[in-house]
Amino acid sequence: MSYRASSVRHKLPFFARCSAYLVLCLIATAVPVAHAEDESKLKIREVQAALDEGVYELDVKTDLTLPDAARQAVESGLTLRLTYEITVDRVRRYMPDAGIAALEQRYEVSYHALSQRYLVKNLNTGEQQDFGTLQAALDRVCDLRGLPVIDKALVADGRVYEGRIRAVLGMNTAPDVFGWLLFWTDDWSTESNWKTWTLRP
Amino acid sequence: MDAPTLKRAASAVTMGLGGLLWLAAILFMAQTAQNSEQFSRLHPWILAINIAGLVVLVGLLATKLTQLIRDWRGHVIGSRLKARMVWIFGVLATLPILLVYFFAVQFLNKGIDSWFNVEIRRSLDDALVLSRSALEVRMREHLADSELIAEEMGVAGASMPGLLETMRRQVGAIELTVATQSGRVIAVSKGLSSEVVPENVPDEVLLQLRQGQPFVSLEPQQEGGYLIRTAVPIGGEPMQGGERLLLQSMYPVAERLGALADTVQAAYKQFGEKDYLRRPLKASFILTLTVVLLLSLLAAWYGAIFTAQRLVQPIQDLVQGTRAVAQGDLDTKLPLTSHDEMGFLVHSFNDMTKRLRRAREDQRSAQLAVETERAKLAVILARLSTGVISLEPDWRVRTANRAAAMILGEDIESRVGAPFGAAGAEPENLARQFAEACQQRFEGGAVEWREQFSFQTGAGRRILMCACTPLPLEGDAPGGYVLVFDDITVMLQAQREAAWGEVARRLAHEIKNPLTPIRLSAERLRHKLLPGMTDPRDAQMLERATETIVQQVEAMKEMVNAFSEYARAPRLEMATVDLNKMVTEVSDLYRAQGAIRGVRLKVDLDQGIDTVVADPGRLRQLLNNLLTNAVEALEGQADGSIAVSTQRVVRGESDVARVTVEDNGPGFQRELLGQVFDPYVTTKTKGTGLGLAIVRKIVEEHGGHIEADNRAGGGAQIRIDLPLREAAADTALRRGRLESRRERA
Repeated sequence: MSYRASSVRHKLPFFARCSAYLVLCLIATAVPVAHAEDESKLKIREVQAALDEGVYELDVKTDLTLPDAARQAVESGLTLRLTYEITVDRVRRYMPDAGIAALEQRYEVSYHALSQRYLVKNLNTGEQQDFGTLQAALDRVCDLRGLPVIDKALVADGRVYEGRIRAVLGMNTAPDVFGWLLFWTDDWSTESNWKTWTLRP
Repeated sequence: MDAPTLKRAASAVTMGLGGLLWLAAILFMAQTAQNSEQFSRLHPWILAINIAGLVVLVGLLATKLTQLIRDWRGHVIGSRLKARMVWIFGVLATLPILLVYFFAVQFLNKGIDSWFNVEIRRSLDDALVLSRSALEVRMREHLADSELIAEEMGVAGASMPGLLETMRRQVGAIELTVATQSGRVIAVSKGLSSEVVPENVPDEVLLQLRQGQPFVSLEPQQEGGYLIRTAVPIGGEPMQGGERLLLQSMYPVAERLGALADTVQAAYKQFGEKDYLRRPLKASFILTLTVVLLLSLLAAWYGAIFTAQRLVQPIQDLVQGTRAVAQGDLDTKLPLTSHDEMGFLVHSFNDMTKRLRRAREDQRSAQLAVETERAKLAVILARLSTGVISLEPDWRVRTANRAAAMILGEDIESRVGAPFGAAGAEPENLARQFAEACQQRFEGGAVEWREQFSFQTGAGRRILMCACTPLPLEGDAPGGYVLVFDDITVMLQAQREAAWGEVARRLAHEIKNPLTPIRLSAERLRHKLLPGMTDPRDAQMLERATETIVQQVEAMKEMVNAFSEYARAPRLEMATVDLNKMVTEVSDLYRAQGAIRGVRLKVDLDQGIDTVVADPGRLRQLLNNLLTNAVEALEGQADGSIAVSTQRVVRGESDVARVTVEDNGPGFQRELLGQVFDPYVTTKTKGTGLGLAIVRKIVEEHGGHIEADNRAGGGAQIRIDLPLREAAADTALRRGRLESRRERA
């Protein structure tokens, strides 16, 4: 687990993609570009915070629908990356909320062709698990249990804290030198809504 | 530095920076296509910059093309030449660019496809299958070992912990776990190299075992290498609660075999990944090429327009300058933008307009000089007392001076361009007679002549001295004629008067002197001889003869005195005279005399007449002569009447006092009307014939004007205009002029 001051995303600008497609349509080149008909759907369905041995932990349930093109991309060797962005703010009445903690929990899902297993790797801890199906692997990263968020010592009694979490889905290449090529195909990159919960120590 | 220069410099700098930015963006884009991780992050932005450049260039090009089309439709000078040049330049630039683009795209497609040809793919698939087969052999062996252990454990039952350790050592497993079908671990046997925490039984293992199938899988490890996981049910009696037991075994894969498998896996994964990205890679390359193509094409077309504009601009300037010069704007100066042949042409044009401008200024100066001279000549002609009329060859009036109008009594100045001659005027019209006389001369073939004309007009006889001279030729066309004429009537009259005056003076001198001795001699003869005559008849005859001599001498003396009076140079004693009063006094003297002769005298006075400045004696003599002349004209007429009137009238530019004496006698003979004021011109049997001549002399001495005419109802009419007091100064001037003319005569 790593704490960061703010969230970091590598999201390609929308207008750049639109402009590029416009140019491609204009020049009418003969090279077809893969288009994903369906886009990914990502939604934080449920989040619960509970105090366990002096640490507030989160149970998160996420709904993820991955289109076939994304599944094929994973089987072809591309790596699916799911990042949870979590922030905890202290609620203030007359001033903007004060940030208390911000962290990212990152997972990678990839296909191991030799063993025909799907690997789930926690990039924060380096822990790796393997699953026989992609759906099992996705279920694993979509169902987080006991994710430590903030130490109880960092929150004051009587105060109200608001936590927010969202998930960001992206695709990586193994070495990232070809990552820019996903610019043309990465229609399944998406992000979920922000889900909030209230913490009253 | 002026504003246009600054603007041009700013535009050049902006365009230069924009061009450099595009060039850098294209180079960056090419770098990203060569697998540079650093540039790959910037790829979208670089692409956006290029596309923005494209949009800007398209906008600029569209603006230029729209302007070009608008100029074409508006028939703007040079637009067609510019369009033709743009078309040629654009096509010449487009064809090779498109050709290169086509071959480049083909090369890219085939080149990238060759990287992922079928042989490489098949080799990798085979390698993977081979590796998988090798590992599957191990997996089957370890599954068999696991099943053997599970069978023995089912038989052994209670001695399970010891058996587990023994069997684990025997089969070389790193961990053996006995668990229930719900996943609860019953017993574990682990080797020293494995982790302390036993492996859980995954759900998928439990699920497969519940379905009665043994489980075996190859699991890649986080730190590299592989483990083989097997799970089989343990035979024998179920545990308390009815749960059956299962055995999960973890076997290591040989390090060498695992390394080889990792290599195959990595290569396969990398190839699959690249194969998947093949199409985007090609699209990216082609997009880069296409953006470069579009930039090149648009830049080429924009450059074509820019170049055509630069080339055509001097021509447009020249055409516009030529039109401006054709419309008379010789101040046109074209900007010299280059020093090539076009610059030489522009320089020549500017030099030409400069010369034309100088020529026009010279022409204007000459024209101004001519106009000045013409104005001076017009002033001179206007001030001349001699009439000057210039005629076109077709007898139309070209110019005429004021004196001509005054002499002819017609406004000829306003008839410039009209035929010369007063067409439709009365036969006695002087201008008409003068024009006819001149025309007769021309019809006679004379073009340069000099002649004295005498015309009979309503105001009397007028004598004009006229000279005609042809004007110089105007090119090949005849130049027309100029008529110079003068009214010499007054001059001739003055000459006659002077001659008569000299005759009178000599007559008075030569005749008057012997008259007295003649009279004295006749009286002495009568005095000496009469007393001595005895014969009464002789005495009576002597008496009658001497009496006749004396009477005739007296008559001759009176005549000589009259001549002397006419010839005498007057010494006027000017004074303010009440004209109406003097007319009344003289009329009263004649009223009695007229009543005796049966003549009625009527006096009509204008009370608005102011006093006149005149010699009272001469003025009284003037009235006496006029009334005497009228009374004598009415002798023998039963109902004779005389009307004397005064009137204030306008003559020329000033008011005058007009005295009119009319009678109802026989009037003047028509042929003598112009000579009634000459000495010895009379139709009466008595009198000296000097009465009206003296009247005119007195009038002229006072600067007046006299006219004689016949009344419409019969009888004579004499009009005398005398200047009023306010015109006295002018009168003296006129009298001086008359004296000088008389002296010249």
